[in-house]
Amino acid sequence: MSASADIFAAARAQGRSALDEPAGKELLAGFGIRVPKSVVVSDAAKINGAMSALQGPYVVKVVSPDILHKSDAGGVRLGLKSAADVAQAIAAMAKSPTISSARVEGWLVEEMAPAGQEIVIGAVRDPQFGPLIMVGLGGIFVEVLADVAFRICPLTRLDAQEMLGELKGAAVLKGARGGKPVSQDAIIDVLLRVGGENGLMTRHAADIKEADINPLIVNESGAVAADARFVLA
Amino acid sequence: MTSNIAERFAPLFTPQTVAVVGASTKGTALPNVFIRRIREFGYAGTIYPIHPSASEIDGLTAYKSLADTPQPVDYAYIAVSAAQIPAMLAAAAGHVRYAQVISSGFGEVDTGKELEQKLAEAARAGGMRLIGPNCLGIYTPRGAVTFTEVGPKEVGCVGIVSQSGGLGTDIIRRGMNRGVRYSGLITVGNCADLTPSELLEFYLADEQTKVIGFYIETAKDGRRLFELLRSARARKPVVMLKGGRTRQGLAAAASHTGSLAGDERAWIALSRQTGCVLAETLDDFIDTLLIFQTLTPRTRQATDRVVLFGNGGGASVLATDYYARLGLDVKPFESTTVDALAALNPPPGTSITNPVDCPVGTLQQEDGRVAEKILDAIYATGRPEALVMHLNMAAFAGRTRPEVLDNVVQAALRVQSRFPGQAHFVLVLRSDGEAELESRKRDFRARAVALGIPVYDEMANAGHALAALRSHERFAISRSAA
Repeated sequence: MSASADIFAAARAQGRSALDEPAGKELLAGFGIRVPKSVVVSDAAKINGAMSALQGPYVVKVVSPDILHKSDAGGVRLGLKSAADVAQAIAAMAKSPTISSARVEGWLVEEMAPAGQEIVIGAVRDPQFGPLIMVGLGGIFVEVLADVAFRICPLTRLDAQEMLGELKGAAVLKGARGGKPVSQDAIIDVLLRVGGENGLMTRHAADIKEADINPLIVNESGAVAADARFVLA
Repeated sequence: MTSNIAERFAPLFTPQTVAVVGASTKGTALPNVFIRRIREFGYAGTIYPIHPSASEIDGLTAYKSLADTPQPVDYAYIAVSAAQIPAMLAAAAGHVRYAQVISSGFGEVDTGKELEQKLAEAARAGGMRLIGPNCLGIYTPRGAVTFTEVGPKEVGCVGIVSQSGGLGTDIIRRGMNRGVRYSGLITVGNCADLTPSELLEFYLADEQTKVIGFYIETAKDGRRLFELLRSARARKPVVMLKGGRTRQGLAAAASHTGSLAGDERAWIALSRQTGCVLAETLDDFIDTLLIFQTLTPRTRQATDRVVLFGNGGGASVLATDYYARLGLDVKPFESTTVDALAALNPPPGTSITNPVDCPVGTLQQEDGRVAEKILDAIYATGRPEALVMHLNMAAFAGRTRPEVLDNVVQAALRVQSRFPGQAHFVLVLRSDGEAELESRKRDFRARAVALGIPVYDEMANAGHALAALRSHERFAISRSAA
């Protein structure tokens, strides 16, 4: 069995309906998609030493099978400067009502991705056509304007290029409104690793019901998946 | 492989023997009507009415069951109560090639789902292909078989698959009046066995078929449809009229993506990846089929520069705006063209830029030869990729001799032949709906389509069809290098 198949098998064996974030990111990394360097700690007391391989600033997020929307639950802290800040953030988050009543399996401590344009890449299983892949610009573009493009997997490089061109906000990627242009090749590369021939959605069509990589943070040189959610089929 | 599929479908499109189940001795049932229609349509093969007791139906020798006919049955038309059909097919195992079940009462209702499974199993076990159930029939001019009351006998190049029988009839009748000619139309109903994808595979291989049209509600084998269309790389244009394109996302989605997905998005994705054209309405579907039937897509550079030429200044300004919204460029002429037109010294009221407003007075001069000189200059210097000639017939009525319309179109065709392959030529015949004008337009439309000219009622319709043609061209060009 491949490493990625093991990830799904383990989640199923534990009776999960979705992959937790560390598992989701391990899955993405296995398909060659960059994810932040990270460790999982069980509680604030275990921070020392565990973070020695990471560079600040840090992000810390709760890992819990009961919490799918971590931000809404108060389970995400960004821009932490030191291990002490991380420990303090964990202690504070653990007290929030939603988290204290949930099964907490640990805390994901990550290097914070450098600033860039937020992109959403997602996938779903369509009853007629099988896996579909989606791309959109993050924030208001996806959530309010529904400015997204879909393709049926597997998609080709040309399909991926055309998807980006189809977005109404495409100019933002080229540096509209004074922003820096971002690497469209990096986005296309992730689209192909997720939805291309032999990509994640083609290999695991039967395992995944829905997926969101939100956000994928893209700058001039590359793209990092800062969060990932995989709902199991 | 290619010849294989053509051979496999030959008994359906050109059946040598047709069995009809459900005709009564009184001659009033739907299957009796079917027998009458195919005889009128010129069917020259053998018809076998099937009846449990009668020895003769509509003057033809009747047989007790599908298994009893002297020759094997290429195509069976079955319209009797649903419950008895599975056993009927089972009894005819090995003796029937295509069985079309018109009857309803199968998978379209909850109580018929099991019966539909039995029906499909009986067909499979009996070595026959099942079409339907819950459909209306086939229209195949090459085999002289039709379920419709009217339909051209002439074999055309547009192959259709329709999941709705009634809409299939509309497509034939309305399309016929617009000049569309079909290589076949199969109503597939519930698709318990034969699917639209298999028919797509046939039409892609069929030499008679140049354009393929689908009315589809659900693609049971969507994956295969996608793969077939994609590997075909738009070598034949495919036009899809999709019913039930809900915008709704997945119910109870747990992700952003899930809430944004849905049928509409999936079909748009299919169109973008395979180059099939999505039509919005029945009229749009027929308009688009017509343009693909008559014009040959450009293979080097997709259609972009459009010239509008005709009588009606305001109408052509409105069309220019509308075409811009469709992404079609009605660009003013460059100075070389303007100079060439000015040098012709055109009659007053004739504009020398694009859109070219050319009043009736100009169009009728010298039996259309003035119009011809103008068009010649436009083709030689303006290099249009499409010319939309619009004629407001109301402005011709009474003031000009009837042959003026002919003269103008003949003039345009002469220009076309002097610049082969340069521009798509599209004709718009505008009318005010007055009966005499409509009848004149009808005759003229038929003559024009027979000459290979696509004719439209309004410039907007022509614009949509041209935009569809251009989108097909763009796709085919972008994928031919890949």
